[in-house]
This record gives sequence, C-alpha cells and structure tokens, in this order.
Amino acid sequence: MIETVLLWVFAATALAAAALMLVIRHPMRVALALTATMLSLAGVYALLGVHVIAVFQILIYVGAVMVFMVYAIMLLDVRDRALVRSFSPLIVPGVAAGSVFVAVFAYAVWKTPAASAAVGSPSPFSLQRFSVAFLNDYWLHFELVSVLLVAAVVAALAVLEAGRRRRG
Amino acid sequence: MSHPLTLIVVLPLLGFLANGLAGNRLGKSAVSAIGCGLPILAFLAAVKCFLLLRAGGNAALLDTAYTWATIGGSSFEVSFYFDSLSAVMTLIVTGVGSLIHVYSIGYMKEDSSYARYFAYLNLFLFFMLLLVLGRSLLVLFVGWEGVGLASYLLIGFWFEDADKARAGKKAFITNRVGDAGFLLGMFLLYQALGTLDADRINAAFTGPTLPAVSASLVGILLFIGATGKSAQIPLHVWLPDAMAGPTPVSALIHAATMVTAGVYLVARLSGLYIHAPEASALIAAVGVATAFFAATIAVAQTDIKKVLAYSTISQLGFMFVAAGVGAYGVAVFHLYTHAFFKACLFLGAGSVIHALGGEQDIRRMGGLARRIPVTFATFAVATAAIAGIPPLAGFFSKDEILWYALASSRGGSPLLFAIAAATALLTAFYMFRLLWLTFFGRSRMSAEAERHAHESPLSMTGVLVVLAALSAVGGFLSIPHFLGSLLPLPEVKPEFEHVETPLIAVSIAIAFAGLAAAAFVYGGDGARGERLRERFPALHRVLSGKYFVDEAYDRLVARPLYWVSDRVFLRLGDRTLLDGSLHGLAALGRRTAAGLSRVQNGNLQLYALLVFVGIVAALAWSARHG
Amino acid sequence: MDKVQMLLATSAALFALGLLGVIVRRNVLVMLMCMELMLNGVNLSIVTFAQQTASAVGAVLVLLVFVVATAEIAIAIPIVLLLVRRKNVLDLDAYADLKG
Repeated sequence: MIETVLLWVFAATALAAAALMLVIRHPMRVALALTATMLSLAGVYALLGVHVIAVFQILIYVGAVMVFMVYAIMLLDVRDRALVRSFSPLIVPGVAAGSVFVAVFAYAVWKTPAASAAVGSPSPFSLQRFSVAFLNDYWLHFELVSVLLVAAVVAALAVLEAGRRRRG
Repeated sequence: MSHPLTLIVVLPLLGFLANGLAGNRLGKSAVSAIGCGLPILAFLAAVKCFLLLRAGGNAALLDTAYTWATIGGSSFEVSFYFDSLSAVMTLIVTGVGSLIHVYSIGYMKEDSSYARYFAYLNLFLFFMLLLVLGRSLLVLFVGWEGVGLASYLLIGFWFEDADKARAGKKAFITNRVGDAGFLLGMFLLYQALGTLDADRINAAFTGPTLPAVSASLVGILLFIGATGKSAQIPLHVWLPDAMAGPTPVSALIHAATMVTAGVYLVARLSGLYIHAPEASALIAAVGVATAFFAATIAVAQTDIKKVLAYSTISQLGFMFVAAGVGAYGVAVFHLYTHAFFKACLFLGAGSVIHALGGEQDIRRMGGLARRIPVTFATFAVATAAIAGIPPLAGFFSKDEILWYALASSRGGSPLLFAIAAATALLTAFYMFRLLWLTFFGRSRMSAEAERHAHESPLSMTGVLVVLAALSAVGGFLSIPHFLGSLLPLPEVKPEFEHVETPLIAVSIAIAFAGLAAAAFVYGGDGARGERLRERFPALHRVLSGKYFVDEAYDRLVARPLYWVSDRVFLRLGDRTLLDGSLHGLAALGRRTAAGLSRVQNGNLQLYALLVFVGIVAALAWSARHG
Repeated sequence: MDKVQMLLATSAALFALGLLGVIVRRNVLVMLMCMELMLNGVNLSIVTFAQQTASAVGAVLVLLVFVVATAEIAIAIPIVLLLVRRKNVLDLDAYADLKG
C-alpha cells in the first residue's frame, strides 16, 4: 500500500522536475532539476524491485554524468544571449507538437485495457542474478560495451588533443 | 533464257554500278565503253524480244524476276511484261537512249565528272526500263520515282552552281506533288481490285462487271501524277528550269523518254480510261490548254534550250489531247515521232552551244548555216518534222491528232480542234523563228564565238544524222496500226467522216503558213521582228515572263508555307511548346529543389522538431488503426 | 489506472518533455541535458516492461543504455567545449553552418 503511494510520489516528482527543466533559465539550476529527476527515477526503480539498476542509476548517471555536466556548465559560463532569451523561435510548433503527442498518448493509454501483468511485488532482482546473467548469457554485449568505452576514451583524448593543437 | 526480258533491265543497272563505283579508276575510254556498250546491248535484247513478240502473234511476253513481298494473302512480284505497247516504248528508250549515250562521249569529253555522268545516265535508263516494262503499277511507280531521282541528279549535275542545284530540287519536288495523286489512285485501285497488275486492271474494267470504284476518280488521280511527270499545267514549272543540266540530259530525259512516262501511263491503263469519260475530258482539256499556253511562251523566249523546253511541254499537251479523246495509239505514235525529232533538236542545240563555246542566247547567234553545215541540216530537218511538213514524221502523227481531236466519238469537238490547230500554227512559227535566228541572217555572235565556231566531232554529228533520218522516215511506220489490237482507235463521228482528206490539206497549210510567217518576220535583217516586239510591249513582257507562273507560285504557295513553318512550327511549336516544356520541367525541378532545400537550414532544433512531428504522426496513426 | 499504465505514461511524458526541451531551449548545454532526460524516460519504460518477465534481459539492456549514455556524454561535452571556445557563444542559432 505504502509502496504504491511512494511510487506515485516518486513518479510525480520526476515529472515535475522534468517540467521545471524546460522553464528554468540558468543552466546550473537546470542541471539540479535533472539530478532531481534522476534521483526520483532511482527511487522508482528501487520500488519496482530492481535494486541493481537503482544503484547503477545513482552511481553512473548522477555520480558521473551529471557531475561532468556541472563541470562543463561551470567552465562555460559565458554571458551570452542564451541567458537572456531562453526559448528558440520554434517554441510554438514545438509546444503544439508536444500537446498533440500528449493527447494521442493519453488516448492510447486510456484505450488499452488494464493489462495487469505481474503487478504484485515480485521478488527483488538480486545483484547476483544480474551479474551471472550479464557475464554468462550476455557476455558478447559485455565485451561490446567495453570496446565502446575504450573507444569513447580514445575519442575524448583525440578531441582534446585537437583542441590543444588548435589553441597552439 | 527463253527471252532476254529481264536482261534488258539489268544491263543498264550493271553499267551504273560499274561506272559509279569504279569509274574514276577506269580510264575515259573504259567508262565510255561500259556506259554506251551496255545500253546498246540492251537495245539488241529489246530487238530480240520484239521479234519474238511478232513471231508469237503479239502475245505478251512475261518474266517474273522475283517476289518482292508476300503480305497476307497477296504477293507483290517484280515482273516484266512485254506487249506491243511496251515494245514500242522499250525500243525508243533503249534506241534513242543509246544514241544519246554515244553523243555524250563527244559532248562531255572535257568534263571532270565523266564517269559520274555515265553512271547517272545508265541509272536513268534502268529506272525508265523498269517503268515501261513493269507489269504491276508498283514496279512502274518504283521506276517513276527512280527516273525522278535520276533527273534530279542529272539536272543538278554541275551542282557547284547553286542555281543549277536549285533547278534539280525544283524538278524533284514538283514531281513529288504529282506523285501524291498517283499514290492515292494506286491505293484506290488496290482496295477495289486487290491487284496492281496493269493488264489485270484493264481486264477488270473492260470485263462484264465494273469494279466498285469510280474509274473517273482513279483516272483523275493518276493523271495528277502524270501532270507532274509530263510537265502539264499546273506542274509544268520544273521543265524549263531543268535546262540547267547538260544538253544530252535534256534530250534524253526531258524530250524523249522521262516526260513521256505520263502519256505511257494513260495509254497503259487505256481500259480504265475508256470507262472514265470525265477523266478523259479533263485530260484532253488540260492537254490542249497546256499546248497552247506553252506555245505562246515559246514565241518570246530567247534561250535556245528554253524554246525547245516549252516546245516539249506543248507537244506533250498534244499527246494528252490524243489520249483524252480515246486515241491512245495516236498518242503513242506522236510520242514515238517526237522522240526522234525532239532529241535531234536538243542534240543539235547542244552542238550549236558546243560550237560557240557555251553561248545559248539566240540573239547572239546567226549566220551559222555555213559554219556548221551538218548541224544546220539536221536541225532544219527536225524543225520541219516538228512543224508538220510532209512527208516527215511529225506530219503524220500531228495530222492524226488533229483529226481525232475533231472527230473522235469519245470527246472530239470543233473547239478542241481549233485550239489544237492554232497551237500547231504557233509551233511551226516559233520553231522556224528559232531556225532563222540561229542559222540565218547576219552574224550577231561575239568576236570570240566567231573564232571558236567549228563543227562538232563525228560522235555528235553521226548521232544527229541518224536522228534526222529517223525524223524523216519514221512516220511511215504506222504505230497506231501496230498497236491496233491492244489500243483500238475510237470511232469517228459520222458527220465528220468526209472531212478527213480536207483536214490533211489544212494541216499542211498550217505548217507552211507558220514557215512563211517566220521567214517574213525574222528573215532578212530581222528588223520586222524588232518592230513587232515594240508594238506589243506588254504582251511580250507577259510571254517572255512565262505568264509569271513561278512568281505566282512563290507568292501563293511558297511564302505562306514558309510563314507557317517559321511562325507556327518553329517559334510556336518548337521553341515555345517543346523547348518551353522541357525547360519548364527543368525549371520546375530547380525551383522545387530550391524550395525543399530551405528545410536544411543548419538549425538542429528544426530537425529535432521534424523528428518529433514524425513520431507524433506515427503514434496518431497507430492509435487510430489499433 | 494501474501501476503499469501510470509508469508507461510517465516514461512517455519524460521522453516528450525531453524532446520538447531539445526543440525549445536555446542553450547548448541545456539541450544536452534534455537529451539525457529522454534517455531516462526510455530507461523507465524498459524497466517497466522487463519487470513483467522473469528474465534478466531488461536489466542488461538498461545497463547497456547507461554505458552508451555515459560514452555519449563523454564525447559530447568536449565537442561542445571546443565549439563554444571557437565561437564564444552558447546559443544554438550560431551553429547553423551546415545550411543549404
């Protein structure tokens, strides 16, 4: 019972923070709103029983990605037009498309019968079960992501090298 | 081979191929040998066939060379048909043709395109033989077109001169206008009868049931083709211009053989024309009108060849008069005599031109009788023949024509006779005028021509003598009698039966009257001729301007056609519609691309928006369709 | 509305908000953050669906998304840094060089 309430609360928080992201002007505050969204989502994952993913959400997303974003924002605090007029000229068609999307989606969701699947709280998804699956059945994907990460590191270095060479 | 019928046709073709392909490498004597020898052989083969024909009692010889096409149930063959009419024509074509080939050896001696000349001449002979020997109208038409082609090639023989080339073009195009009528006539015949064989067509029309096609309509259409080829009104305009070609060409093609193809066509299809009274009446009317018209123009011409050209048109008119009143045998008789004396006249003119080093204006001749006696003698004999002085050949044929023009039960009338007789008088007058101005009187030649004047070589004068002899005695061979079984003469109206003998006297009187008039006007010092011209300046201008027919055609036909071509087809059709639509399509593509390329403005957010819109649309669609 | 429907609606809303943010905001860095928001929305929907089956596929997939997002941000931010250092402007309109 309480889990359902908490679930709704976390979902609402995520949505509210995401909506705030769209209207807040200063990029630093936008970053904070995004962090709030991510934390709420971590809570949702935990309530759904996938603790592994919840932890990874916080570790990777909030701990690495958002920190990096905040660094970048702090490095690039340039006084420019973006801080004065924060919306692009495409706001009207964008919002129009967005509302149509919401309408369509709400209609679709309302139409589909409540396919109540395994609603009952399932057994939590343990870390052990996850790692066994990841390294046994999905070892190829494991290797691929490793390669991807290496590639990302190399690419980042190359970009910085190019930047350094240009700056002389 | 039982009879060398196909050989007659093939020999000149071989001559064309040999001289045309290899002529420049062989020497002049080899070219002459091939170019003249093969037609002579063809003539001998024709004689042999003629003897076979007589031996077989005038039963036609038939030789099928090969089957051209088999379409559906009908097959079209190339077959050659030798009856008495074809015999006369073939002998004339090969005989007179060979003589003119021999004459050309002397006349074209200094020309650089000697081999090409003989090749074209042989080509002409081949096509002409196809025309006269063809059994089917289709083969005849191939020959018809082919002689037109050869005529074009030979008229424009010295094509470096633009005027001469243009004359060749005029001849060909005018002929083509007539050919449209010919083709329509052929289509009608084929549709009604299912065959184009001339003998079968004649049989169909003289048989018990008449075919389901108007004989007069077909007759008129075929006659339109004949007016083009035989230079009758209104398609006569090409013949005077055709004098731009070498004189032997004028003699062969435009006097003796090609222009007579129209007469031959009418005679060949006599069975059809007997049952086409309207067409026959039209033929007679056009013939007599052309004869008179051309004779009046000839009176005022000053170029020796042009006088002879208009004379040819006039004499062809006479032949059509005879054909129009049903006397086909008489028309062929006049064709036969005309071949002799007209060829002799043209070749004689060529001899004069050759003697004077290129002079053709009779105002600058005169007094040549003693300088070039053989030419003079032959020319005089031929002139007397054409005027109708007995007992030369022209007298017999012209008298028969006048007789039937008056008395034929199939269209003869006193009016027809009167105009024809007036034309005969004019013929005698202008021919003797030509003789007088060229050969008699004081010399009006330029000093250079005076020194140059000499008699032509034997190859030329020999031919002249032969032709003059034929003009003299050829009339005694009664062609209408020979052709009587094939082309029966029409009945004579009973009220004119007693007029026949007096009419002969009238014809002789006309001939001598013309001679006397010409001698009177142009004899002595020719001053009376000058005064005559000064008294009627307007008439003289109209006559020497050939009634301004060419100018009328230019104003009425050529210029509007050119205007339509330029304004409608070139500017409107080609530039505006075709080019415009193509350019318009290209411009459409370009403008569409320019419009569409505005989507790619480099703005990332626009791209993202477009993706979003796409997603929304896909979702909406899938939500609606379940 | 039951739990699954609500979560799916939330994930769709998050995704839509993220996309809208990409379209609407001018600042380059804010755009990047909205892209992260989109990825988060997708993750939520994967987890929701995966939770209904008993296999580990869903979790693995989510982890892969994490890794890819990380790699992506690791490259994107240096690129943005370099771009901004060239033009000294964080406004997206200044980077419309590929027009045509």
